[in-house]
Amino acid sequence: MLKLIDCQIDATGWEIKIPDIQLGKGELLVITGPSGIGKSTLLHWLLGNIPRHVNISGKILIDDIDVSQQAIERRHIGLLMQDVYLFPHLSVQDNICFALPKDTHFSSKKQRRIEAMRMLEQINLAHLGERYPQNLSGGERSRVGLVRALANKPKVMLLDEPFAALDPTNREQVGRWAFQQLAQQHIPSIMVTHDKNDIPESAKQLNLADFFLQKDQHQISLDRNNP
Amino acid sequence: MAATIRRLGLASGWLLVSLISLLPSLGIVVGLWPPEQITFADIRPFLAYQGLSTSVFMTLFSAIFSTLISLYIAFMVYSQYHLSRRLQSFEKYLAPLLSLPHLAVALGLVFLFSNGSLFFVDSGLPRKGLSTLIIAIVIKEVPFFLLIFSAIGRQLPIKYWLLQGKALGYQDYRCWWFLVFPPLLKQSRLALLAATAYTLSVVDISFLVGPNIPELFAVSMYRWQTSFGIGDQALAFWANVLLLGLLVLSIVALYAHEKLLFIACKNWAVLGSTIRLGIINRLFVAWLPMTGVLTLLMVMVFALWSFGANWQTDGNLLASLHTRLWQDEWLFFSLPLQNSVLIGLVAGLLGVACALLALELQRRRGVYLPDYYWLLAILLPQLSMVLGWQVSHIWLEGSYHSAWIILSHLPFTFAYAYLVLKGPFQSIEPRYELLAASFGYSYWQCWYKVRFRLLLPAVLSAFAITFSVSVAQYIPTLMIGAGRVTTITTEAVAIGTGSQQDVMALYILLQSVLPFVAFLMAALLAQRFRGSVDVKAH
Repeated sequence: MLKLIDCQIDATGWEIKIPDIQLGKGELLVITGPSGIGKSTLLHWLLGNIPRHVNISGKILIDDIDVSQQAIERRHIGLLMQDVYLFPHLSVQDNICFALPKDTHFSSKKQRRIEAMRMLEQINLAHLGERYPQNLSGGERSRVGLVRALANKPKVMLLDEPFAALDPTNREQVGRWAFQQLAQQHIPSIMVTHDKNDIPESAKQLNLADFFLQKDQHQISLDRNNP
Repeated sequence: MAATIRRLGLASGWLLVSLISLLPSLGIVVGLWPPEQITFADIRPFLAYQGLSTSVFMTLFSAIFSTLISLYIAFMVYSQYHLSRRLQSFEKYLAPLLSLPHLAVALGLVFLFSNGSLFFVDSGLPRKGLSTLIIAIVIKEVPFFLLIFSAIGRQLPIKYWLLQGKALGYQDYRCWWFLVFPPLLKQSRLALLAATAYTLSVVDISFLVGPNIPELFAVSMYRWQTSFGIGDQALAFWANVLLLGLLVLSIVALYAHEKLLFIACKNWAVLGSTIRLGIINRLFVAWLPMTGVLTLLMVMVFALWSFGANWQTDGNLLASLHTRLWQDEWLFFSLPLQNSVLIGLVAGLLGVACALLALELQRRRGVYLPDYYWLLAILLPQLSMVLGWQVSHIWLEGSYHSAWIILSHLPFTFAYAYLVLKGPFQSIEPRYELLAASFGYSYWQCWYKVRFRLLLPAVLSAFAITFSVSVAQYIPTLMIGAGRVTTITTEAVAIGTGSQQDVMALYILLQSVLPFVAFLMAALLAQRFRGSVDVKAH
């Protein structure tokens, strides 16, 4: 479960006070808003990548543990971006191996590769295992990116316009498949998007523009759609 | 008519750049052409030459070892500065560090740390020895690799690889080793080869700080090449064959190193290893400031020596300084200084102009030839190339004029200019020229008023580099000029083999000041052109 408490984006001239958020297992929150309002910045802050141009404060609780002060690598938060940045020197299978948890279940190279293949097989992508990222189509890359992120067993997943680079048909297919995967694995997720068509019906929504405050002025609009 | 002129112009442009880029291969081929009197039987005295195996082993070891050590240090320094706010200062450090010639670094080490040096403590660094040579080369190659990494790094999404790696639970330094190092290594192949080829055949610093008995292979080969003794030409010929063999061996070694490292990094990545090797990265934050201080100290110690500083006096050191040496030597160094500046200016400018021409011709064709084709001059051993040029020069009955020296420097200035200009040149948005053309400017007007202007700071930096490259050339200047055209570098080496430490300091100081002035002027001029693309901005 993910909780966001007293979260606030502070920039010169404006600020955004985000209402407290609670996301249960497998739930999806979609953050929308105009360009430049800080959607991606907020996502990167959640990940632990501290932004330089704005100040973001607040508490992030994952399963009731405060991770706000932890380094990225200790938070167990996955990130999927428009370009999924598969590592070019590793094959698809090895990209997934890289993400597998470093525990005793998969201690040998062989075990890790078998597990990676098992994950690919589950979603009928086993044929891509030996290939390198340069030889994948956009849709395949997005799918492998999600598999890699899931292989890490994240407690929360962040999606930053993950399907923006795909053509409309692929976009819908990959999107539906991705949300299904996240829901099945009970991972609370937050997605940033520009496109209303990307938003599944069941998702909660948060429009950052609703909470935008010009400093020393009145709040531009009143809270609505408060999840 | 106009079309014919244009075609002719293009053809002559291609001819010119092809000739320059083929000069290195020509040198190698002519150098390998056996003179009539040489037979296979001559290989026996060559192989029996005393100390040959030790000399060859030391040469190969110093070349590969110094290159790889520099590579690792540069990578660790880069991992500390990349993305940080100190990146700006990191790039500011590079220019003066790059500008100091190899020879000055080597002698600077000797002046500072060898027996009887400034610090009066014996640091254990020999006046002449393999360790001094390797340390000098490493100090010089690290900034070179940093420049290369900086250029490669801007084309790779390193920031996002690190972010993904960290999101998957890996510490920063592991992400650097597992995710960034393999692709960076693969793209640095040519730079690695250039550094190795340089050390394999470097003569000037091996002369001055390299080991004596046996001497490094390049020094023996150079002595045979310039000797009139019976049988020495045969030795020189077979030595040349062996030197090229060593180059091939180095390529194999570098390739094997890359493959092994690739396999190791991949294994660690697949295993999700928690290996701790990268924790030392942090120590290397201090590398650049330290070499900066070292460079300053070196220049300072040369200056003090040239002004007659006497370390043994008890009195005030500054009070004992005088300009007597400068006044006495002025007569002797004014001509070499003039030659160095003139040759450097012409060879540097021509190198930059030809590199721009080569880039523009390729852009027009829409196809870029592979880098190694243009960079042959710095990828092949200099000694073998120059041997061939010398043979051709004698065959052509060329005179000992500065113009020949300029021609012999041109392949090197061209290759370095191409290396540093390619990135900025390709990164210029072609739509700017399209826009200018829509305003009615002709092709060359667009090129000059838009592309060239945008590139100007990069061109200035490239010129500072090519000027320094030309100033530091030793072998081509000496062998093509047959010692008749003297430059600061040839004089510095000649004096350096003697025992007059103060005169040596004066010449080395002059040799270090020349490139430094060029870099300073390029930096000052570049500030006047805002919004353009610099070498480092790529």
